[in-house]
Amino acid sequence: MSSHRLPQPHGILIDRSKSITLRFEGRDYPAFQGDTITSALLASGQRVISRSFKYHRPRGTLSMMAQEANSLVQFPGEPSVRADTAAVPAGIDVRAQNYLGSLGRDWLSVIEWLSPFLPVGFYYKAFYKPKGVWKYWERLIRALAGLGRIDEHAHHGYADKAYLFADVAVIGGGAAGMQAALDAAAAGAEVILIDDQPRLGGALNYARFDVEGRRGARLAEELRGRIGAAGNIQVLTDATCTGWFADNWLPVTQGQRLYKLRAKSVVIAAGALEQPTVFRNNDLPGIMYGSAAQRLIRLYGVKPGHRAVVATANDAGYAVALDLIEAGVTVAGVVDLRAEPSASPFASAVAARGIAVHQRHAVCEGIPGPGKRSLFGVEIDAITGRGVTAGRPHRIECDLLCTSVGYTPAGHLVCHSGGQLVYDSDLSMLVIDRLPGSTAIAAGAVNAAFELDAALAEGTYAGWRAAQLAGLGVGAEPPRPAARAGAAGQNHPWPIFPHPKGRDFIDFDEDLQVKDILNALADGYDDLDLVKRYSTVVMGPSQGRHSALNNMRLATVGAGRELQGATVTTQRPPFQPELLEVLGGRGFQPTRLTAMHHRHLELGAQMMPAGVWLRPAYYGAESRRAENIAAEVRAVRENVGLIDVSTLGKLEIRGPDAAEFLNRMYTFAYAKQPVGRSRYVLMTDGTGAIADDGVACRMNEQHFYVTATTSGVDAVYRAMMRWNAEWRLNVDIANVTAAFQAVNLAGPKSREVLAKLVSDIDLGSEAFPYMGVREGHAAGVPARLMRVGFVGELGYEIHVPASQGEHLWDALMREGAAHGIRAFGVEAQRVLRLEKGHIIIGQDTDGLTFPQEAEMGWAIAASKPFYVGKRAIDVQAARPLTRRLVGFALPAGTTLPEECHLTVRGEEIVGRVTSIAMSASLGKAVGLAYVAPDQAEPGTRFDIKLGNGTIIQGEVVPVPFYDPENKRQEM
Amino acid sequence: MKIMNCPMNGPRNVSEFVWGGEVREMPDPAASDHEWAEYVFIENNTKGVVREWWMHAPTSYWFIAERNTETDEIVRTYPATELYNSRREFK
Amino acid sequence: MNTPLTPQSLPRRSFLYRKLAALGARFAAGNEAAIAASFGGTDEAAAAHNLGLADLSPLRRVGFKGPGAADWLVAQGLTVPEVNRCAAQADGARLFRLGANDLMITTDLGATATLPDKLSAAWAALENPPQSPRGFPMPRQEGFCWFVLTGRHAAAAMAKVCGVDLRPHRFPVGAIAQTSVARLSAVAARDDINGTLAFQLFADSASAEYWWDCILDAMQEFGGRPVGTEALRAL
Repeated sequence: MSSHRLPQPHGILIDRSKSITLRFEGRDYPAFQGDTITSALLASGQRVISRSFKYHRPRGTLSMMAQEANSLVQFPGEPSVRADTAAVPAGIDVRAQNYLGSLGRDWLSVIEWLSPFLPVGFYYKAFYKPKGVWKYWERLIRALAGLGRIDEHAHHGYADKAYLFADVAVIGGGAAGMQAALDAAAAGAEVILIDDQPRLGGALNYARFDVEGRRGARLAEELRGRIGAAGNIQVLTDATCTGWFADNWLPVTQGQRLYKLRAKSVVIAAGALEQPTVFRNNDLPGIMYGSAAQRLIRLYGVKPGHRAVVATANDAGYAVALDLIEAGVTVAGVVDLRAEPSASPFASAVAARGIAVHQRHAVCEGIPGPGKRSLFGVEIDAITGRGVTAGRPHRIECDLLCTSVGYTPAGHLVCHSGGQLVYDSDLSMLVIDRLPGSTAIAAGAVNAAFELDAALAEGTYAGWRAAQLAGLGVGAEPPRPAARAGAAGQNHPWPIFPHPKGRDFIDFDEDLQVKDILNALADGYDDLDLVKRYSTVVMGPSQGRHSALNNMRLATVGAGRELQGATVTTQRPPFQPELLEVLGGRGFQPTRLTAMHHRHLELGAQMMPAGVWLRPAYYGAESRRAENIAAEVRAVRENVGLIDVSTLGKLEIRGPDAAEFLNRMYTFAYAKQPVGRSRYVLMTDGTGAIADDGVACRMNEQHFYVTATTSGVDAVYRAMMRWNAEWRLNVDIANVTAAFQAVNLAGPKSREVLAKLVSDIDLGSEAFPYMGVREGHAAGVPARLMRVGFVGELGYEIHVPASQGEHLWDALMREGAAHGIRAFGVEAQRVLRLEKGHIIIGQDTDGLTFPQEAEMGWAIAASKPFYVGKRAIDVQAARPLTRRLVGFALPAGTTLPEECHLTVRGEEIVGRVTSIAMSASLGKAVGLAYVAPDQAEPGTRFDIKLGNGTIIQGEVVPVPFYDPENKRQEM
Repeated sequence: MKIMNCPMNGPRNVSEFVWGGEVREMPDPAASDHEWAEYVFIENNTKGVVREWWMHAPTSYWFIAERNTETDEIVRTYPATELYNSRREFK
Repeated sequence: MNTPLTPQSLPRRSFLYRKLAALGARFAAGNEAAIAASFGGTDEAAAAHNLGLADLSPLRRVGFKGPGAADWLVAQGLTVPEVNRCAAQADGARLFRLGANDLMITTDLGATATLPDKLSAAWAALENPPQSPRGFPMPRQEGFCWFVLTGRHAAAAMAKVCGVDLRPHRFPVGAIAQTSVARLSAVAARDDINGTLAFQLFADSASAEYWWDCILDAMQEFGGRPVGTEALRAL
C-alpha cells in the first residue's frame, strides 16, 4: 500500500482485494478496482494531471467530480476523458493533455509569460486585422490551445439505446433523492432512480453530518436497504441524466448505452456543487474543495495531503477539518472568512483539538512549489472589506488547501426544460426560481435544503407529490418542510480576492482571471451573456459548473447592477459531455431488398442505392463498367433483357370513385380509360410542378393498379391519403409496393421467352397490344402483365406476389437462356430510355418544372374541372415559357458534358444538361437539356459549358432519338 | 421529445408524426389568380392556436391538431371527419 | 428416398429464407412454402420461454380494407374488436384490427385455421366490382413479413427497438401498437402463446432481412436466439 492510502473503513468504493495498474504518462501506478484515474494518481502522490488550456499551468483536481477541465486526460481513441470519475482503464496508456515536452516540464508554459499581451478579447482584437490574416494565425493558435486530440481512425465501439418508462423519475441518489424514491414507490409508483456515482448515497457517502461522523454512512446504508427491498424502484448508478426535454423526456447515459426515459413526473434531487475561492494562484495542484478532500478520504481511501489549511465560510469547513484530522492530515489552521466565530459543534470540536482558527481572514495567495506543480503554502490576511484584505499577509506552510465557501444548485436540468435559477442576496446563492412544466418537483440541496433532516423531509414530500402528479392515488399530503432549511450561512457573499499580479482564476477551463472579466466590462460588454461570449467565461468543458456563480457576482456588480434576482447565462444540454458514439448508438438504417436481390449478387451485380432500396447498377466487374453496360443495352436491343423493377411504387385505388380520384390526383383523364389498358399518370403539386409519374392499369371499372417512382411512392401515397381526408371520395387507397415484385422483360425476343411460361393469356400482338394489361399466370404464379415501352422495345412488365418473385426471375432466366437473355441494371435502362427520350422525374425535372416546360403538355387533360396543380398550371401556361427541355445530339468525338453542366448563352445561364449518354445504338451521344424557348427548334445549336469552362455545341434533335415511330415497342 | 396524441393510436412520441401544414379551405378553382396564389404559397404563420394537418406515419392516418405556435402546446387532436364530413365536388 | 425440403423447392419462399438457412434452420412444409421448423439444439423450447424469435412469414394471412370491410367481416360471423385490438376467432385464427376498415386475419401457429382462405374465397365468389361495400382484399401475406418474439425478456428486447411501452403490465393481451420498430413502420400485437409472453410482429416484407437482424441484435444481451415453429407449438 502506498503511503497515501488510508485504512478501512475509508475507501468504500475500492476493492482492496483486486489490485490493478494504472499506466499514466508511461509510468505504472498501483491502483485498486474501484479507483478513478485521479484517485489512483493521488494515492501515489501524483497531483499534476493535466495542463491548463491557455497558459499551460500544471493542474490537479479541484472537485474530484470533474466539475472543471483540470483533470481531463487523453485515451488513445478518446480525448478529454474525465479522470476524476473515469475508472482506471485496463491496458492503455493514459496521457495528460495540453503540453509540449512532458507533463512536468511543458515548453508551452512560456505562454504564461506572454499573458500581458494576451488580454481578453485578444483574438478579436489581434488576429482579424489586416483582413485575411486570421487564417494564418488560426493554425498556430489551434496547435497551441485546445484540449485532447481526436484520433480520426479510432475504432467505433458498440453502443446502443433502450427506452425506459417510469411513473416517477428521480434524478440524484443522495438523501433527498433516495427518500423521494421510497415515498413515491410507497404510493405505488414505478420509480427509476438515477445517480452518476457507483453507489447510491450522494453526500451521505463522504460528508460529515455529525461530529462523530457516523450518521451519513448509517443513513445511506439504511436507505439503500429499503430501496433494494421496495420492488418497484429501478436503480441506475454510474448513469448520468444529461438533459430534460419536453414531456419529461430524459436522456440517461450509462456506459455504452443511452437510455431514453419517459416519466410521468420528475423529482430533481441533483444536489449542489461546491464552488471555488478566488485568489492569486488558486489553481495550484493541492488546492481543492473541502468536499473533494472528503471524497478522496471516504470514497477512495486516499489521504489528500500531509499538512493542510482549511479556508471556510461555513460549518462544513470545520467538518472537513475533522475529516482531515481523522485521516492523519495535520491541520495547520482554519481560515474563517466570516466576521463572527461559529457556534456549531463542528467548530467547537476543531477548537477542542487545539487548531488555530483565523477569524475574518482569507487566503490571499497560494505559494507554489517548484514549477508550480505543487502547493508550498498560503498567504492569509485579514479581511477589511468586500474582496479586500489588510495588506499584511502572513504565511502558513502547507501542501493542501481545502476551501468551503459555498455551493450552487446542480439545477442544469431545470434550466434545460425552461426553468430558471436566480440570485438570492440574503443567501448569497442561486436558487430555483421556477420549475419547468407542471410535473416536476425539486428536493434536497438543489432546492437549497442543506440541513439533512430538511432534505429528507423534502424527499418525502417530493415523492408523495410526484406520485400524485403521475396520476396515482396517494394518501394524505405529508407536511411540507420549511423552504431552504439550512441554506443561510452556507455561501460567503464574495469569496473573491483579486490580486494586483493576477492569476486569480475565475474560470479554470479557460484560464480567465478577475481582470479578464473586468476588462470585458470595460470594453463595453456589460451584459452577462456578452461577457460570456467575449471572454469565453463558462464556455469551457464544465459549462460554468465551477465558474458561473463567481462570474455572475463579479460581472453583475462590476456592471453596477443588483445581484438580487439576477439570473445566470442559459445552461443547455448536455449536462456532461457525451460520446458521439453513444449518441449515435447502434444506428438503424432500414434497407429494402427485392425478392431477386440475392440473384443479382450471384450474377455479380454492382448494387446502388435507390432511396432505401438497393438496385443493380449493372452486372459484372467494376473495371469493365462501360463494356458491361453496353453489352446489357445490346442484349435488350438485339435479343432480350430482364430488369428487376420491383422497387417501383405500387398502389391499389379501388372503389366507385376510383376513376374520379385519379382524375383529381393526376393530370390525365381516367374516367373513360378502358378496362385492360394502362395509361400514363403525371402528378403535379399545388404549384403545378411535376411531382411523380407512372402508369395506371385499369383492372376493372372500380379498380386501378397504379405505379409510382421508387423514391416518390411514399410521398404520393401520403398526398393521396391527405387529399382524400378532405375530399371524402368513396375509394380505398392502398400502398402495396412491397407486396408485388416486378420485372421488365424487354427486347425483340421477349414474347418468345414469355410464351414458354404463360399459358392462360393470348400474347399475340392484337390480343395483347401495346399498353394492354392482362391477369393470368406466369411460371405458374398469379401475375399481372402489362405491355410497356419505357426502353423502346417489345416488352412486358410482370408483377407477381413478393414471395414468388425469385421463382419468376429464375424461370425467366432459365427459359431466356436459349435466346441470349441478359440481366440488365439501372445504368443500361437509363441509356435505353434516353434513346427513347423518356424523362426521369427528379433527374430531368426539378422542384419547379411544370409540364409544358418538359414537353409533357400532351399528358394534361385540359377540360377536367380540377386536378391538384391545375389552377397553377393554367396560370403558367398562359405565360411565355422561360425554358424548354429538348433532346440534343453531339458529334462523335466530342468531350461529353456531365449531367448538370450548364447550357449558356454568352454570360447568361439558360438551363442545364439533365441526361447524357453515349448511344451505341445511334452511334452518337444524345442527351436532354433545358434551353431557352427560342432555341428549342430541331437543328438549333446551343452552348454547353463543361466543368473546365470549355464551351461545346449541342444540336437540338427531335425525340425519340431511337425508333421515332415507336414500331419496335408496339410489335 | 414531445408527446402527441393520435386520435386513432393514442399518445406517441412526436417523431412518429409528420406535419402536413395549416388547415386551410381550398378556394373555388374559379377564384382569382391572386386568391389561388395566396392559398398555394402563403402560410398564415399565426401566433397562437392554429389548426394543422398531422399524420401518424406508421398508419398513414391523417388528423387535425390544434397547436399553440407560441408555446408549442398541443391543445387538442381529433379526426379529420370533424372538419370534413361530406364529399367535396368540383364542377 | 425423399430429398429434404429446401426453401427453394417451392415457388413461395419466406422473405429471409437465406438468413434462416444460414442460422441452421430445418425447414418443414407449410402453406406452399418452407417454414423454419427448428434451429436445432436441445434447448430450443427453453429458448422460446426465455427469448426466441421465429419467422412465420409463410403462414396464411389476408387483409380486407376499405369502406364496408369491418361490417362485411361481422356479417361473415367474425368477432371484430375495436381498432388496435386483436381477437381470436372460433377456429383459432386471429383478427387484427388495424383501422376502422383495415383488418387482417391470420391462421394459427399450427396453420390449422382456414378462416383466411375461406374469407378470400367468399370475397372472390361475390360480384366484382362489388355492388355493395365490403372492402377490398389486401395482400398482407406478401406486403408484411411476420415474426413472433416470445419469452420472458420479450418486452425488454422490444424496448431496445421500440418507443412504445410494451411491458406486460402496461400492454395487455390483445393490444396492438402500430408504431416504429427499429425505424420501420410496424404492427406489434400482444398475443401470448399458452401463457408465454409473445408479440406478433408485422412490417414491410422488403425490409425483412434488415428487421430480423435488428431484433436479433436487440435480443443478444438476454441470451435470445432464433426458434422454429416446433418450439412455439411446444410452449
